[in-house]
Amino acid sequence: MTPRTGTPVPHRGPATLAGLLATALLLAGCGAGGREDDGEDGGGASDTGVTADTITIGAHFPLTGVAAPGYSEIPTGAQAYFDYVNANGGVHGRQIEYLVKDDGYNPTNTSKVTNELVLQDEIFAMVGGLGTPTHSAVVDFLNGEGVPDLFVSSGSLMWGDDVAARPMTFGWQPDYEIEGKIIGQYVAENQPGARVGLFLQDDDFGEDAEQGVRRYLDDQIVEVQRYTSGSTDVGPQIAALQSAGVDLVLSFNTPSYTALSQLVALKLGYDPAWFYSNVGSDPGLVGALLSQISEGAVQGGTNALDGVLTTEYIPGVDAPDDPWVQLWQKVWDEHGEKGELTNYRVYGMSHAYAFVQALQEAGEDLTREGLVEALESDSQDLVGPQLAPFRFSADSHMGISGMRVVELQGGVGEPLTPILVSDIGDAEITEDTSGQAEDAPPESGIPD
Amino acid sequence: MQQLLNTSLVGLTLGFVYAAFALALVLVWRSTRVVNFAQAPMAMVTTFVALVVIEGGASWWLGLAAALASGLVLGAVLERAVVRPVQGGSQINAVILTLGLFIVLHALAAVVFGNRYRSFPAPFGIRGLEVGDRTVALTPTGVFTIVAVLVVMALLVALFRFTDLGLRMRAAAFNREVARLLGVRVGRMLTLGWALASLVGSLAGVLIASGSLVHPGFMDSVVVFGFVAAVLGGLDSPVGSVVGGLVLGLSLSFVSGYVGSQLVPLAALLILVLVLLVRPGGLFSTTTARQV
Repeated sequence: MTPRTGTPVPHRGPATLAGLLATALLLAGCGAGGREDDGEDGGGASDTGVTADTITIGAHFPLTGVAAPGYSEIPTGAQAYFDYVNANGGVHGRQIEYLVKDDGYNPTNTSKVTNELVLQDEIFAMVGGLGTPTHSAVVDFLNGEGVPDLFVSSGSLMWGDDVAARPMTFGWQPDYEIEGKIIGQYVAENQPGARVGLFLQDDDFGEDAEQGVRRYLDDQIVEVQRYTSGSTDVGPQIAALQSAGVDLVLSFNTPSYTALSQLVALKLGYDPAWFYSNVGSDPGLVGALLSQISEGAVQGGTNALDGVLTTEYIPGVDAPDDPWVQLWQKVWDEHGEKGELTNYRVYGMSHAYAFVQALQEAGEDLTREGLVEALESDSQDLVGPQLAPFRFSADSHMGISGMRVVELQGGVGEPLTPILVSDIGDAEITEDTSGQAEDAPPESGIPD
Repeated sequence: MQQLLNTSLVGLTLGFVYAAFALALVLVWRSTRVVNFAQAPMAMVTTFVALVVIEGGASWWLGLAAALASGLVLGAVLERAVVRPVQGGSQINAVILTLGLFIVLHALAAVVFGNRYRSFPAPFGIRGLEVGDRTVALTPTGVFTIVAVLVVMALLVALFRFTDLGLRMRAAAFNREVARLLGVRVGRMLTLGWALASLVGSLAGVLIASGSLVHPGFMDSVVVFGFVAAVLGGLDSPVGSVVGGLVLGLSLSFVSGYVGSQLVPLAALLILVLVLLVRPGGLFSTTTARQV
């Protein structure tokens, strides 16, 4: 053992601490002062983040970390579409400046980068911020600051079910509960004899979905297993589904866990039918992950998920003849970065399109309140790539109202149902009559 | 019954992986008396080296060889260049330094290799073996993992117990001054200890990665459970760390399968506390606590 040669510790602790605290308080004071001044500039027809010829908006995405595969491509798609709009004259003569910050799917970082975006970069609106745990951390801050918080990239109910509490926040993709309901009804009607097991991410995603599924399928569910996001060992969970005799697994998980669950099933010699929710079912991404692992033993590429059921609410790269996808391809060829057009980039472009549309509706005198009003009152006019209409109103900020069930074959989704629409709670599931699935983008590719 | 069997087999394979990692910790502890927190990111880096080699078109085995070789070099270089300068002072210095290395290597790997999930091929099949007409949750790759870890454990036991080199390494770690007086080249022994530990760690990294997904954080959960396994076994005993790894792998697999996966870290903590309450030195400790 090393002898203690002890240098006496100087008794300066409390003094230093007091000094630090004082400095911190002073700094905080400075920050608050600055903020007040900024707020007062924001009156009149043009709001914070809006000038005669620019609109500054922001978003947080996981550009690094475990959630980055796929998701980090979303902002590249949105950026390409904004570049396209800017190159064609912008919206009411204003160019869109899109600031993307990396939060690594870590809520602490989300708070930090959102503070930067709102207080330092003075964005007009947050557009497409990704993730349930991450965006939950900043949703109250954004609403408190009166920043429009549009088209959150997550299907949690939180973005639209309580307008009084979160008046500035709007969802975009169909929420996990209606997805659960539509999946539940499909299975109850088409596979009434199946022994159903649920494989759920252990957070709001899984909870909302389970609630939806159970409305239609309660007595067919024989086993429920939850995995903790971050732990790559799902062996015990899949083994439990297997031993319960589950022959149809409904999975609500992220893409990496689709690959992991398929691997474990191979290991266990377990071959049920799989129904992955939209989030986890991108055949391109999952196929790429799976193919290499087995050095060809697992059929790679987009065929990896053949026969798997999933859902679809916007046309994707598997439908190259769809007029919307043709527009996205054109935008990507002209303004995209290197790399192919992917479903994640299409997702980014689709919500960017909805945002440009909202700006058009809000008119030339752009204000934050005006934008929110436009979304609440004119949501039926917001016709876009989404297969079913938005549900925006003064009482609900829930996003796209429905989807269809598809079966994957060679990476292409073959529709099994018409577009089904519903709402949260015990709203019925009906066929969509809006005809949005058949529409095409305007000639210019920019909403009028 | 099937679930019990499969959950046990999943836990068993996982336990051997923890054991491999614990072995690396034991090795570095026995040969330098430093607890190396940087073991996980070091193994992660060498696993990525293997992945780069394999993606370049080489076979899995060449990838493994590249990982082991780079592990050996990385361990020796880190000991010489980073750890050596702070040795001689308090032991805690080196330990804190390894914590720093943990963060640095993590960040570097994210920059160099990218921060996303990538798939890592397996050396053998990843379908479960068939026993009779039933598939059990044990893959040929899993069998290879188990055999590899057992062989490494046997080699380590042999090294420390039966060879002159092992004796000198232990002596150098245990009491530098006396060892030096007795003619042991202490510096060389310490470097060798780090290099060997890093090699075993690299093996563990590749074994864990095979047939699964890797990203710069993929060893982070293993480092925690590997530490628990090593401490369970007493930090000093290769056999103990393998037993510790198995106990942990099996218990955690049962907790995950029958109770809930969110309780896994808590269960690991509980096991650790219980064992340390009953046997403060670990299950296989032989040395009694020394008075300071």
